[in-house]
Amino acid sequence: MIKVVDLHKKFKNLHVLKGINLEVKKGEVLALIGPSGGGKSTLLRCINRLEEPTSGKIYIDGVLITDPKVDINKIRQKVGMVFQLFNLFPHLSVIDNITLAPIKVKKIKPEEAKEKAFELLKRVGLLDKAYNFPSQLSGGQQQRVAIARALAMEPDIMLFDEPTSSIDPEMTKEVLDVIRQLALEGMTMIIATHEMGFAREVSDWVIFLDQGQIVEQGPPSQIFSSPKEERTISFLSKIL
Amino acid sequence: MDFRLDLFIEAIPYLFKGAVITLRLTLISVSIGIFLGLILSLARISKRIVFRYPATLYIEIIRGTPLLMQLLIIYYALPSIGINLPAITAAISGLSLNSAAYVGEIFRGGIQSIEKGQMEAARSLGMTYWQAMRYIILPQAFRRILPPLTNEFASMLKESSLASTLAVSELLRAGRELVAWKANVFSPFIGVTLFYLIMTVPLTRLSVYLEKRLKKGD
Repeated sequence: MIKVVDLHKKFKNLHVLKGINLEVKKGEVLALIGPSGGGKSTLLRCINRLEEPTSGKIYIDGVLITDPKVDINKIRQKVGMVFQLFNLFPHLSVIDNITLAPIKVKKIKPEEAKEKAFELLKRVGLLDKAYNFPSQLSGGQQQRVAIARALAMEPDIMLFDEPTSSIDPEMTKEVLDVIRQLALEGMTMIIATHEMGFAREVSDWVIFLDQGQIVEQGPPSQIFSSPKEERTISFLSKIL
Repeated sequence: MDFRLDLFIEAIPYLFKGAVITLRLTLISVSIGIFLGLILSLARISKRIVFRYPATLYIEIIRGTPLLMQLLIIYYALPSIGINLPAITAAISGLSLNSAAYVGEIFRGGIQSIEKGQMEAARSLGMTYWQAMRYIILPQAFRRILPPLTNEFASMLKESSLASTLAVSELLRAGRELVAWKANVFSPFIGVTLFYLIMTVPLTRLSVYLEKRLKKGD
């Protein structure tokens, strides 16, 4: 479903990604772990081309999305993204945050979009907040709305960029529960996270990314219980 | 001081007419300025240099030269290349083109003050650049620039007085005519001063209020 081949990204003379190769099959959950600045965010942002890769190839559903001729807006409709800082639209109510893209991009009827949005809000447990504005919600609630907003486009893939890193610890559970539920439903996902317990539980495959390279990868049981690489061991010992 | 109350009272209806023209001149010019300014700001933040460079050049020229000179060029120099504009049209053109440059920079500041994540979130949902601008960035930017835009309106009210040099009978011109007729300086000019203040003070107050409300809102 997602295939990344020899992906490089440079910002001026900063080499952030140095030849990443990975593959995620339909229904799989990939966890990206590693120190901040290791390239997790950049890798995710290249996959929906919020960042333009410097070189390398990215395929989504067999389509080469790094091809400049590809209609990236079409691709992005199929690839939902959840940001560390939520990035809800502060001038729109929760319901409008969720329905805007389906109505304007997918040209779905407003009533239909709204119905679907209520369904999603129910799923993330925020039905009573439909007409609130983002500023009236806690971080955890905002992030759940952001997930609902991404899901409203009915994506095949979800990318999570450290979804709980700017949420109070006691609020992270409700967000993780929503993502956990998505995993159970078979959503294909890539999750950059510092929540090791969560990564271990929810993912099918773990990639440890440091200094722009994949240092080690494997099933969560192996990575977390018996890491082989020195850098992985030292990272995990610090964070666990 | 040659202030005379009877002349002052006599001047009021005449000055009122001038103030109405000033207000109209300003309203029209700022409205056109907002429209052109929005286009200028979008060109100025464009990735394409064919849009960005001309917009930048325009803004630099307008903001780097006196408005009075711009008005004089439009009114007195354009006829030599066959463009003859009536005084009021020349004044509106000059003020609008001038306002566009300032409003353009206000818009640009507003747009660029919106967090990068807003554009990214919109684009990640499949919106085009223009959809994101229209539904996400500009509505937020517009709220933020209301205070400086109100200020721009207040300064345009004052600067439109330069149109008096093109024989447009706005407020200042009305005052000067009264000075000549009545051979009295203070009475009409105090009237002119009061009329300008009546128009500008509420605007600057409004701007302060909007700014406060915005700080609370964000």
